[in-house]
Amino acid sequence: MSVGTPTRQRRTAAVRTDDGALLHATVDGSDDAPVTLVLAHGWTLSQASWDDPVGLLVPRVAAGELRLVRYDQRGHGRSTWAPGDDDPAAVTIDRLGLDMGCVLDKLAPRGPVVVAGHSMGGMTIMCLAAARPELFGDRVRGALLVSTSAGDLAPEPRTPAEEVVRRLTPGLVTAALGGARVVERLRRLTPPSSRWHRRVVRGLLYGADATEEMVRAGAEIMHASTVRSFAVFYPALGGHDKRTELAALARVPVEVLVGSSDALTPVRHSRHLAEALPEAVLHVEPRTGHMLLQERPHLVLEALGRLLDAAVDRVAA
Amino acid sequence: MTSTIETQPSASPAASGTPRTVRVAVIGTGFAGLGMAIALLRRGEDDLVLLERADDVGGTWRDNAYPGAACDVQSNLYSFSFAPNPDWPRSYSEQPEIQAYLQATADRYGVRDKCVFGAEVTGARWDDAAGQWAVTTTAGEFRATVLVSAAGALADPTYPDIPGLDSFAGTVMHSARWDAGHDLTGERVAVIGTGASAIQLVPAIQPRVDSLAVYQRTPPWIVPRTDHPVKPWVQRLYRWLPGFQKLVRAVLYVVRELLVVGMAKHRRFLRPVGRVARAHLARQVRDPRLREALTPDYTIGCKRILISNDYYPAVAAPNAELVTAGIAEVRPTSIVTRDGLERPTDTIVLATGFHVTDLPIAERIAGRDGRTLAEVWADGMVSNRSTTVAGFPNLFLLVGPNVGVGHTSMVYMIESQIAYVDDALQTMAAEGLAVLETTPEAQRAYRDLIAARSRGTVWLAGGCASWYLDRHGHNTTLWPDFTFRFRRMTRRLDRENYVGTPAADRSSEVAA
Repeated sequence: MSVGTPTRQRRTAAVRTDDGALLHATVDGSDDAPVTLVLAHGWTLSQASWDDPVGLLVPRVAAGELRLVRYDQRGHGRSTWAPGDDDPAAVTIDRLGLDMGCVLDKLAPRGPVVVAGHSMGGMTIMCLAAARPELFGDRVRGALLVSTSAGDLAPEPRTPAEEVVRRLTPGLVTAALGGARVVERLRRLTPPSSRWHRRVVRGLLYGADATEEMVRAGAEIMHASTVRSFAVFYPALGGHDKRTELAALARVPVEVLVGSSDALTPVRHSRHLAEALPEAVLHVEPRTGHMLLQERPHLVLEALGRLLDAAVDRVAA
Repeated sequence: MTSTIETQPSASPAASGTPRTVRVAVIGTGFAGLGMAIALLRRGEDDLVLLERADDVGGTWRDNAYPGAACDVQSNLYSFSFAPNPDWPRSYSEQPEIQAYLQATADRYGVRDKCVFGAEVTGARWDDAAGQWAVTTTAGEFRATVLVSAAGALADPTYPDIPGLDSFAGTVMHSARWDAGHDLTGERVAVIGTGASAIQLVPAIQPRVDSLAVYQRTPPWIVPRTDHPVKPWVQRLYRWLPGFQKLVRAVLYVVRELLVVGMAKHRRFLRPVGRVARAHLARQVRDPRLREALTPDYTIGCKRILISNDYYPAVAAPNAELVTAGIAEVRPTSIVTRDGLERPTDTIVLATGFHVTDLPIAERIAGRDGRTLAEVWADGMVSNRSTTVAGFPNLFLLVGPNVGVGHTSMVYMIESQIAYVDDALQTMAAEGLAVLETTPEAQRAYRDLIAARSRGTVWLAGGCASWYLDRHGHNTTLWPDFTFRFRRMTRRLDRENYVGTPAADRSSEVAA
């Protein structure tokens, strides 16, 4: 390659949150780009879960049309926990919303922003909207919510068995954290290369069209996550409820994507979001599960393209 | 010899125009130079001078003062056998402690009085008529009957040939020429190279830089570092019972020597070491892609096995990135890789190693027929017992060809060579020889021995390109066998491989 060949900038940044966690972020593209896209990933995943849509966005980045910020949520990927997270009960999805605010402040301090979140990353966006509504409108000009939920993931127990599970959950979390090393060792016995492992992952997260490569790639990302992130965020996800705090999101264009056979955040959660955000565009994709970023990267790309174009058009107007 | 020269290097012989004449001139004041001088001084041979280009003793351990610089061999082993130090604060010492040890040892044996600092050797020519080496330095001319080059193998940094590196607007520094005055805090730093220096300095600077990009061509194998502070009672024990420290040293030596079985004899014995390294990586790096990028594809031991507990966590830190795409060019404020990514960069740290197979000192030493060592070695470094070269009378090389070791203490090899040189000098004195020169036949025999012992070793057959091999793929740097075998070979001068010329009648040569 010679001088003058088009290149795109990349930098790695560690964002320190106000409570002392260090978030690993990757920034692609020129600081002069007209819009910044910030991507938030889901539970037990990492920023790598966005790789397929990001790969499709490379031409936009290389053309200077887009600046791209990916980051690992606290306790995931390369990001650390905060000192206060030693108490698992203190970790909430609300905190992830504040983290995203820190990422915006540090890595996208100016100019229009579009945010996109998958699963827990979508909830992160709702929490940001609830905590810092003033950002939505002029700064954050669009949101993509993929395979996510506004709440009610752990409904009130209706049967005695569910009640038992609810009561046992905190103890199980503590036990999982205490025995994390043992659990880690057990996990190592069944790596993603094992067919049993992939069958479980496929059954839980993927739809009918998913290829073996997709399942393997997703399983590897999840396998890299810690027992701690699984255990600590499990109750936090149950506690997430922003069904009545979506007003700020209603001010900007929102697209909602969900797989028809999503078992983790079933379609009803996305339907509820579409009802709460009347302007939002809902798309239910057939033959897909929870991992839409991998299963339908082009679908994600098209939705992002519409939101990014709208955000830039408003600048021009 | 006058004391003015020793205490005031500025009053160099060059000023007076008369070369200073000594019996022995030693180039360099690292472990090799100091050890040689001490051996001579201890038996009363004090007509010598040490030519040092810097302003202090220490050599490699003086120059490599980058953050985190430390030795990969336990200090009980990586130190002079005649100067044990009961006070090592850690099992593996860091650079400041080793440098302090060398300074203290130099002082203790009065070596500094023999040093001329600021004297970089620019040329050394054998004057056959006078039977002397004519040595020119930046601090004047010297004439010496015997020249000992202890210039070292890790002495002159190599700078990579990357397009645009000269155009970089920020700071560029080599790990071996660290600028302690340059504060990296908050900077975007690029480290080029992942060898022994890089894996030490990366964890040392990672916490304070804004972001760190480590540019990797080939990943090293890394095993855990069993470093620990030495407890005060152990230090006391070493002091009261020097024999105990000697015993610890011997155990360390034997354990490390076992690696030779795997590296040079039966490669299957390296498999457990490979498993340890793989488990170390798996434990410290969770990200499967990063782990894959950090996994070497060659047999462990082919390149130097590195030891670190904090390198992997440092490259997996939130502000770090391992870049494997290969550097296409450097621009004034950034580095561009072959995949088209441009990373804004404030400072570039070159951890790119040293001229090892092409020692710069070899270009400056010219022998009997006027050809330099580098010219004679154009097709690969050859020598007799790693120490002498035909056509270069009265020249002795310390840390020369095929004396390097990656698994154990270099000081052991240096002391072996010192004993050999010392015996050569005593033989010259005893036989009244003015000139001693090895034969081409001895050199060929030694080259064949090295080639035979190198065959099938992990360095040649391990599937990697390392700085151990020259551009022809020959092992010209490493001793390819147990180190005690080298010691046995160099215990006494192999007189039969040398031609001596008596001082009285330099026209008739005396063969053994």
